[in-house]
Amino acid sequence: MIVSQEPVVEIVRRIVDKQLNLSAHGYELDADDDLWNMGMTSLTCMGLMLTVEDTFQIELPEEALREGTFRTVGTITAAVEAARSAHEKPERRV
Amino acid sequence: MRKEAVSRTERPSRADVVIVGNGALGLFLADELVERRIGSVVVVGPSGREGGASQAAGAMLGCFGEATTESLRTDASRTRFELGVAAHDRWPDVLDRLEGYSSTGSPLLVAPDSHVVLNSIGADLDTVNFTAMIEALEEYGKPWEEIDPREIPGFRPRLDTRALRAVHLPAEGAVDARGVLDALDARLRETDTIMIDQTVRTLVRDDGAVTGVELDDGHVIEAGTVVVAVGARSEALVRTALDDLDMVPTFPGLGFAMLARRTGGEPFRSVVRTPNRGFACGLHVVPGPGDLEYYGATNRLVDQVSSVTWMADVRFLAQYSMQQLDERVASHEVTGWLAGNRPVTLDGFPLIGWLPLSGLYLLTGTYRDGFHCAPLLAEHVANELQGKPGTIDPMFRPTRAPIETRTIEWSVNEYVEHNLAAWFETGAEAAPQMTTAQIADYYRAMAMKFYDTMDIDYALGPDILWYAQGSLLGARRVARYFHRLSGRSGSRPVGAGTGEARR
Repeated sequence: MIVSQEPVVEIVRRIVDKQLNLSAHGYELDADDDLWNMGMTSLTCMGLMLTVEDTFQIELPEEALREGTFRTVGTITAAVEAARSAHEKPERRV
Repeated sequence: MRKEAVSRTERPSRADVVIVGNGALGLFLADELVERRIGSVVVVGPSGREGGASQAAGAMLGCFGEATTESLRTDASRTRFELGVAAHDRWPDVLDRLEGYSSTGSPLLVAPDSHVVLNSIGADLDTVNFTAMIEALEEYGKPWEEIDPREIPGFRPRLDTRALRAVHLPAEGAVDARGVLDALDARLRETDTIMIDQTVRTLVRDDGAVTGVELDDGHVIEAGTVVVAVGARSEALVRTALDDLDMVPTFPGLGFAMLARRTGGEPFRSVVRTPNRGFACGLHVVPGPGDLEYYGATNRLVDQVSSVTWMADVRFLAQYSMQQLDERVASHEVTGWLAGNRPVTLDGFPLIGWLPLSGLYLLTGTYRDGFHCAPLLAEHVANELQGKPGTIDPMFRPTRAPIETRTIEWSVNEYVEHNLAAWFETGAEAAPQMTTAQIADYYRAMAMKFYDTMDIDYALGPDILWYAQGSLLGARRVARYFHRLSGRSGSRPVGAGTGEARR
């Protein structure tokens, strides 16, 4: 998937929404909603992790592979941005 | 403990062969190479062998006692199974050779035979594996006899978990794993072999060849050939020289066992075990050495090699030994806690052969019978190092694609069966109106959703599936490995990761 200029948080929100099928039920997701209280299971979290990494072409560090990282749209966004900036320093890529 | 307390402390700068790993595979290989006088041999490994599978092994010399419905179902599994059958024949000679170096005061062969019991607590998986074992014994013409479970010496389970059937295997016993390792160690120290009490930090590479190893303290040993045999740590070490190799991934299968001293009652005189069951090797007791008894073992695939023991595993082993083997275990004195990491490959088959870097050989992935197969594999590897034809099937080469033995549907069914076995054995209870079929449906739905989410079409074994659905790191390693193999985009993630699966 091509990463556009769209803010990371918006892309993450879309991915989460699709994984948890929220807007289909008329729910609007906030950046600090606790996803583990909104029907996320270990399996949906796994799908979320794989989709986030594919979308942003990143590999999250091992220490980020835990429940807390995937708790909210905000925490996922922070993890993505950290992984991207760690990578983007030596060579810029989009 | 050893015949001579003196150990060689010299650290050479060069050797013909460096074996990384001092478990059963590494030591039996060193012994074979020394016998063949193929040059200077150095073995590197910490003397405590912490976290290693061999030092924690029950070391049952079992192949038919380990048989399951899967063992002979495909050509690949049959080839694997027959490795064990062939390895079995090596042990009488091995023990003759080693007995004189043993310092335990007891025979290294702690039990000459086994009893396999079928009790009702292990669910249907036990029944089908028990039947598969008898069929395998018949097919290979091996001796066995059905006996009354009450005639097994020492076997005094609680009445509610009593065995309904039992089979005596007169030719499958067990050795004292720690005694055998010590004897091998003592034997090698009487030769020119140099044993270094350290770990290897990295392999040293020069273009297309591995030229040596660098120890933890920075000391470098140049080598004509490096054999990596560090069990569950092997893949990470290989990646220090071959970062971009698409090798079948390996996971640590962390297991827990206990050594305990019997304080009363009739002792066990044979191995007594259940069939393989519920993701693991079945519950077993191995008598000896002396008045000790070995109780094992749990098996859980984990992210990292470690020596931790979970309270749940302690409870599992203690409770089920008392229930299913002998009530008197309750008053045994625990003298040792053993934790070891079996090298478990993604497809369940060993990784044995040359790697695509000159001078680098891999010997691992033997899961739960590396100890038993070690003498046989030593002969094979020694042949290969000498440029002679190997003695085992080349299908286990480490550069292979994963071996396929099942369909996704089969994998899902197996996963359900193993979970049901674990469910009932652990005493989990469902509401009275909830049927076994409903519990099975739950596990089935989990497995189907797992395959959907992972987007892979390779069918996993139940242990790997269980691990990957419960570990984000495990799931990522499995998914990325298959996505790379299929050349899918998005499969080459970049970033700050430190995972072994990174490329």
